[in-house]
Amino acid sequence: MNATEGFEKLHLSVNGTDTVVLALGDAAAPPLVFFHGAGTFHGWEFARPWAAQFRVLIPHHPGFAESGDMDGLREFGDFVLHYGALFDQLGLHRDVNLVGLSLGGRLAARFAISQQHRLRRLVLVAPAGLQVPEAPMEDLFRIPPEQIPAKLVKNFEVLLPWLPTDPHDLDFAVDRYRETRTVAIVAWDEPFDRVIPRWMSTMTVPTLVMWGADDALIPVGQGKAWADLVPDSELRVFDDAGHLLLDESPAAVQAVAEFCA
Amino acid sequence: MSVLDELEFMFFHFLPYTPLPDGYKEADSLWVDYPNTNFDPVVGHELYKRYWSELLLADKLGYDAIMVNEHHNTQYTMNPAPNLTAAAIIPHTSCRIGVFGTPPNFEQPNRLAEEYAMLDVMSGGRLEVAFPLGTGMEYWANSVNPATARARFREAIDVILKAWTQPGPMGYAGEFYNYRYLNPWPTPYQKPHPPAYIVGSGSEETVELAAELGLGYSVVFIPTSAQLKVFDRYRERLAHHGHEVNSKKVTFGVMAYVAENDKQAEEEFMPHCMYFFETGLKTTPRYLMPPGYLTVPEFRRRISSADVHGSANWDDLTAINRIVAGTPEKVADAIAHWAEEAQASRISLNLALGDMPHWKVVKNLTLFAEEVIPRLRAKKVAVV
Repeated sequence: MNATEGFEKLHLSVNGTDTVVLALGDAAAPPLVFFHGAGTFHGWEFARPWAAQFRVLIPHHPGFAESGDMDGLREFGDFVLHYGALFDQLGLHRDVNLVGLSLGGRLAARFAISQQHRLRRLVLVAPAGLQVPEAPMEDLFRIPPEQIPAKLVKNFEVLLPWLPTDPHDLDFAVDRYRETRTVAIVAWDEPFDRVIPRWMSTMTVPTLVMWGADDALIPVGQGKAWADLVPDSELRVFDDAGHLLLDESPAAVQAVAEFCA
Repeated sequence: MSVLDELEFMFFHFLPYTPLPDGYKEADSLWVDYPNTNFDPVVGHELYKRYWSELLLADKLGYDAIMVNEHHNTQYTMNPAPNLTAAAIIPHTSCRIGVFGTPPNFEQPNRLAEEYAMLDVMSGGRLEVAFPLGTGMEYWANSVNPATARARFREAIDVILKAWTQPGPMGYAGEFYNYRYLNPWPTPYQKPHPPAYIVGSGSEETVELAAELGLGYSVVFIPTSAQLKVFDRYRERLAHHGHEVNSKKVTFGVMAYVAENDKQAEEEFMPHCMYFFETGLKTTPRYLMPPGYLTVPEFRRRISSADVHGSANWDDLTAINRIVAGTPEKVADAIAHWAEEAQASRISLNLALGDMPHWKVVKNLTLFAEEVIPRLRAKKVAVV
């Protein structure tokens, strides 16, 4: 499957980091930025319906997919600064709808705390990074790579087009190693975010927290903890979907569009 | 001058924990997550006593050095703190002691500089050390980020070398380590510092670091042919950085067993050697290569090539590694060939391997010392 067919591909240099941004939809439409999670192999099909209403922008984080590595990357705060500079280059100064999935949800939450003046709506899809003792998230690093895909979705067929036919596919393994390496740089020592619980009370952007009822990676039980933490927020849970909620649930994709409309 | 003129014979003991209780063959890995409930401290106590006797025997038999190393969460070694082993044997030995060694990025580097200086002073200057990055497995066992391990490793070595060679007190401002008063007591007995090596598995980064700093290099866990290429590259980079190239800069490993005839030697050695590869080293690619432990190109290279962890057959193993079992003549000839081929004079000898019983270790250590070493020393006369 060609993951990026029909998308424009913007090439930017952000403070020295080669950065690719996929874009879809009318350039004059309201912007919707999507922050992807810890693995990019499952493509961007879920985002296509949003292009009817929005200018959809999907940046590849430094160290992921088609973007280059960031020199000196050490912590999540470096990503936040990267995106401040990237948003400036793209003219995203206000009224931005920001959607983040999993690791991208943690990043979106961090970004929102310090850059809320740029945002109109925030959507956190099964965000990572919160320590919730009664509903602990799986430690991504403890799961053997070959077992990860099955934990990402409820309906495995959703992922099949994106997985290599040869389980020992070298390029696929190398790409996953690179992305997991990037995650390790920022999250090996800090699987739980220090800033979000401490500062989220200052973030007033209307926020939708979304979860798949069958999330096997970050349990749906974390949804309430996030909703309690984010001041102006609501929680919506979608049945028959796992961690990659947007890949599995057209209703969830539509809910994002409605919330940001 | 031939490398054979300067051979150094160093007895390397892993202090393995054996025998393992039933069921170990079903485990995917005997490192990292192999439950420590399989360790019996009473068995361990007897093993430590036995292993001390083997180390002290090596000293009595005239080996140039005893070497010990460090691993965690594994039956492969009962030596997670090799400085303790070194301290225990220093008063009872006169040979050199090689601690090969503690990953410097796992320890506060000032404290490691102090511990090594202690051992050097305690032993009257008999210490040698190596700085290993540590296997991938160690990063699952310790709270150290594998993705920044190499940068931290490099800086920790810098702290240690400065602590040893520059008068204190001094400040140190690094990315990972910051010292207001770096002023460790004691300082090393040997000047400028104990002989120091970097131990790696052949990645470009560790080779380059050893060459840049002018430290020795030792390589583990890769086949002989790959080692030879690494040694060539190391010497080339050593010269490039303006450091002296000599045969003592490289340490190479040999697994050897000596007996009355070749057939008997092979029969006595093979099961323990196979145990070492099949059981001692058994782990998973995931544990070998934690996230970010390798650069992306190095990861691609490693998953494209064979590894030595957990599967083995004797013919393959002896074809790609320096393994020899036979008469003293056969063993001496093989080692002379390997030394010349590697242009290296320091030989790390695995004469106690896997689940080898005490009597075989004693036999092997003794025959090697009394029958092989003199033959190799004699070769020196032959080439002069």
